[in-house]
Amino acid sequence: MAERRERTRRDPGRRDTSRRTTARGLSQTPRKARESAVQSREQPVRRRRPVRTKLFSLGQGLDMPLFVFIMVLLAVGLVMLFSASYAYSYYRQGGDSYYYIRRQGMFALAGVAAMLLISTFDYHRFHKLAYPIFVVAVVLLGAVFVFGQLLHVESIAPSEGVATRWLRLGPIQFQPSEAAKFALIVVLAHYISQHVEEMEGFVTGALKPILLVGAVAGLIVLEKHLSGTLIVGLLGVLMLFLGGTRVRHLLVLGIIAGILLLAVLGIRNALSPEEAGEAVETAAGGYQMDRVIGWLHPFDPPEGVDTWQIRQSLYSIGSGGLLGVGLGQSRQKYLWLPEPQNDFIFAIVCEELGLIGALVVIILFSLLIWRGMYISLHAKDKFGTMLGLGITLQVGIQAVLNICVVTNTIPNTGISLPFFSYGGTSLMILLGEMGILLNISRSANVERT
Amino acid sequence: MAKGTTERISTKAKWITGLLIFAGFGLVLVSLIRWQLVRGEEMEARALEQSLQSTTISAMRGTIYDATGTKILAQSASVWTIVLEPNYLNDDDALRRKVAKGLAPILDMDEEEIYEKTGEDSYFSYLKRRVETDVRDAVNEFLTENEIESGVRFLPDYKRYYPYGTVASNVLGFTGSDNQGLDGLELYYESELRGTAGRLVASKNAWGTDMPFEYEQYVGAEDGHSLVLTIDETVQSILEKHLAEGIEKYKVKNGAVAIMMEVDTGAIVGLATKPNYDPNDPYTILDATVLAEIEALPEEERDAATTNAWYKQWRNKAVSDTYYPGSVFKMITGAMGLEEGVVTLDSTYTCTGGFQVEGEPEPLHCWKREGHGLEDFSAGIYNSCNPWMMHLGSLLGVETFCKYRDAFGFTQPTGIDLPGEATNLYHDVETMGATDLAVESFGQNLSITPVQMVTAASAIANGGYLVQPHVVDRILAPDGSILKTTDTAPLRQVISEETSKAITEILRYNAENGTASGGYVAGYRIAGKTGTSEKVAKWNEDRSKPMEYIASYCGFAPADDPKYALLVYFDEPDGSENGGLTGGNAVAGPIFTQIMAETLPYLGVEARYTEEEYEELDTVAPSVTGVPLEDAIAALDEAGLDHSVIGSEAEGVIVSAQIPESGSALPRDGEVVLYTEGYAEDEATTQVPDFSGLDLVNASYLASINGLQISVNGADISSAAVMLQNIKAGETVQVGTVISLTFAENINTETFVPVG
Repeated sequence: MAERRERTRRDPGRRDTSRRTTARGLSQTPRKARESAVQSREQPVRRRRPVRTKLFSLGQGLDMPLFVFIMVLLAVGLVMLFSASYAYSYYRQGGDSYYYIRRQGMFALAGVAAMLLISTFDYHRFHKLAYPIFVVAVVLLGAVFVFGQLLHVESIAPSEGVATRWLRLGPIQFQPSEAAKFALIVVLAHYISQHVEEMEGFVTGALKPILLVGAVAGLIVLEKHLSGTLIVGLLGVLMLFLGGTRVRHLLVLGIIAGILLLAVLGIRNALSPEEAGEAVETAAGGYQMDRVIGWLHPFDPPEGVDTWQIRQSLYSIGSGGLLGVGLGQSRQKYLWLPEPQNDFIFAIVCEELGLIGALVVIILFSLLIWRGMYISLHAKDKFGTMLGLGITLQVGIQAVLNICVVTNTIPNTGISLPFFSYGGTSLMILLGEMGILLNISRSANVERT
Repeated sequence: MAKGTTERISTKAKWITGLLIFAGFGLVLVSLIRWQLVRGEEMEARALEQSLQSTTISAMRGTIYDATGTKILAQSASVWTIVLEPNYLNDDDALRRKVAKGLAPILDMDEEEIYEKTGEDSYFSYLKRRVETDVRDAVNEFLTENEIESGVRFLPDYKRYYPYGTVASNVLGFTGSDNQGLDGLELYYESELRGTAGRLVASKNAWGTDMPFEYEQYVGAEDGHSLVLTIDETVQSILEKHLAEGIEKYKVKNGAVAIMMEVDTGAIVGLATKPNYDPNDPYTILDATVLAEIEALPEEERDAATTNAWYKQWRNKAVSDTYYPGSVFKMITGAMGLEEGVVTLDSTYTCTGGFQVEGEPEPLHCWKREGHGLEDFSAGIYNSCNPWMMHLGSLLGVETFCKYRDAFGFTQPTGIDLPGEATNLYHDVETMGATDLAVESFGQNLSITPVQMVTAASAIANGGYLVQPHVVDRILAPDGSILKTTDTAPLRQVISEETSKAITEILRYNAENGTASGGYVAGYRIAGKTGTSEKVAKWNEDRSKPMEYIASYCGFAPADDPKYALLVYFDEPDGSENGGLTGGNAVAGPIFTQIMAETLPYLGVEARYTEEEYEELDTVAPSVTGVPLEDAIAALDEAGLDHSVIGSEAEGVIVSAQIPESGSALPRDGEVVLYTEGYAEDEATTQVPDFSGLDLVNASYLASINGLQISVNGADISSAAVMLQNIKAGETVQVGTVISLTFAENINTETFVPVG
């Protein structure tokens, strides 16, 4: 524990937070001191360079359970992606069954490398990077809005129905909202760790950070990307709640945000009645209503409500039964379930591996969430705690919501399943975030295996 | 403060993650249990239902044989249907062009049409159905040569052939594009003929193409059962031939029916109706007149007219048409009277030319306005006397009449194994008034089908038993074993043997000397009754047109042991075009005669001639060709035949030809013309004159002055006139040729009865 305090003090960038961290560290001392002391004697290297982990000792100080959970989920995810995309890829990519797994595999390799690299990158540096990252994310989101919704430049921001979620920059295509979630986590973690004492106040504790959340959520709303908005909003509110913002402040601001949202839609409506009317109808009104109706009546939807995807998903899940039809044996992936490699990949997991396989995956996610939380709560400072919790919550919320959608527990909305769904950049970002979590674990007060 | 913050974060974080994991995933678990375990089987069934596609493997349809069991009337043969899978072709224009160019000549199709089809967005599009194996091989060869692996497929299929063309078409029916029976026996026996299609169950993806699963299941097809009919192709052809002849001769406007039934079993040995069609090509209208009429119509009316013409030529008039049997029914009324004992053979009645029905303003007339005078029961029938029948009807009373009418099967469909049997229109016991009874007694105002009539006549003939009319004798399994034989036991006895015999005797006399003499066939003891039914309902629609008739003749033979009943029925003979012939005796009688004369020997009914008949019987010309003239003449003398010689009569000259030829029929006292060397062509031939309407004396005279001989059929009474001649007037034949003439009396034995 002595070593820990020493390291903190030496960190020039964190001088202002050292007091709080120390205080927290002290509170842990009685339980962990002896073990840590024993460990530290056996690892003289870390004593010399306590903050920067050397590249050639990547594993050092890593939380092995977390690392194992990540790698197992990634491995299972890749296997299932291969299985789920096999047929779809064959038909859609001109007979190439390996198209999706090849690309996803390459991103996974690069992602794991990045994760390990980032795990050696002291997360405290994100204090300085928080606002720059946030600004970049906001700019990218703005670009999607400008090119997608205002200028309709398909080559840069291709539209999918009413929504424009993607940004195309040369060969790379990614969803800025994925980056924005991370940016929001970092900026909120930074902000909260900077204002721990003032979080109970309204302006500092609620209004200012909510504006940050609102900026991101608002831009995602403008993309007409409802599920993204939902996740960002939920994530932001939960982080603030954890960070100490008063619940009543959140409620007040939530109501204001709701009114604002309606006002924005109203203004759009007034500015360009036709287009906006349609947009409100489709993006916020009728379209969402259809989803609710489709959720309630997946098999006998009223005229005009398309429930093909959720219906096929339930067929897949049901076909699996207790033990599943066997890996690779799904029939539903043969073009019945649309894009089985994306949001509905879990249905193929259920079909091929059955209830047992689905439970194994759910348990893996639960373990990851639990471990992420555990590490975060044992991080050596508030920034680490908030950063870790944000990342863990993001993964947890997405996993729970995705599986809820796939099993028709909640209405259909486009949320991908972390580690499973196809998507290069989002996998990279996810593994990068896991890298940060691992980095937090290196310095956290966690019993290591 | 700080410590508090940390602990609060910890608590909140644990709560949130706990909620996320236990509540979030808990809900998921509930859903999973619901969908995977509780409703899992249902979901799986639905998934399988959409992804398992079963391809039908057609069963071969059963064969239809005629009564001989050897002649095939309908048969299926293996063919191929060519199917395009345009989605394998439609993104390659050069390939599409190549396929279209290559297949067009092989399939005899338009290149552009094939090109268009290859551009469709689908995996299944019929290119050409039912091509022969050699065409499929040619297509296959083209595909192999050009290395086209997907996009064109062959499906095994069957095509229905009817080797005898139009023969029995209205009985057989025809099949549709999926080999399903659409009419006639093909429809009625669909479940027997069709067989059980096999199935190949395979997994398909959402695009309908194969999935790499081993879920395939093969169930072989079971071929259909075959039918052996009671209809004999030979008899059937004879029936059709003579119907066509009658239609042409008597200018019949609305088709015709001939039904021949085995009286003891109800087996129909021939059932011909006109118009008919070729079941190989049922959508071609065979009647040239109808076709011309359709052509003349404005464009927008043609489709409806064509459809009408189809239904008309597909219609089986024998079971689907109803008519008033007219005087033919008098045999039934007569039988009722004898059976009930209200009259005896000795009963008499005086016909004054009409019968006063209670409540009618004036008497209902007899066809013979001046009246028949005093007639006994037999005379009432063979004179076809209406008042006698009305009198008899009044003796029977409504209840008894209706009881027998039901018993003879006139009020219920016969249940014959053919589709589309008509329902009867009649006055039932409660509503039948005195006038209705009187009119029905001589066969008017009672709608029945021709099959019902011939079935009832069979009951008169066979000793009083109502039989079940049928056209299928037995059903065979694909291996030829008999699955089912039709039960030919009579349904019920309607009249006694004595009544049957008595009526038969009257009808026999009738055919020889009475009003039905037009149906007489020497040696075959015909019993018959004519009928001329007025189409009152039609006339009531438009009284400005003349009354139309249905001329019918119903009889059976041989009278001493009846075997076959025959009903011949012409719908609307055009009296204004054919010289005023509309009556059953003149129109249907001669055709009845011809059919009986030709079919009875074939069916093995032995001819037995009276002495008188024997005298007039034709004999067969001996072979005298290739022998010296003297020998030929000697041979003819010995046979009791005259001779004449055309050409050299020098000693030892060889006979080079003879007319009639060896084996041909000629009158017993006829002449054989012998041709020797050097005869003149013009001297040797002559034109056939028109014998129509001549009596026997004048016909003989006309024949002799033209160097021809005649052979006499039909009515042997002085008032009979020529109705038919077997060689048309104007044709050139060799001198000495025997012309067969059919005589009948032109009497129209019906009364105009304008009753509702």
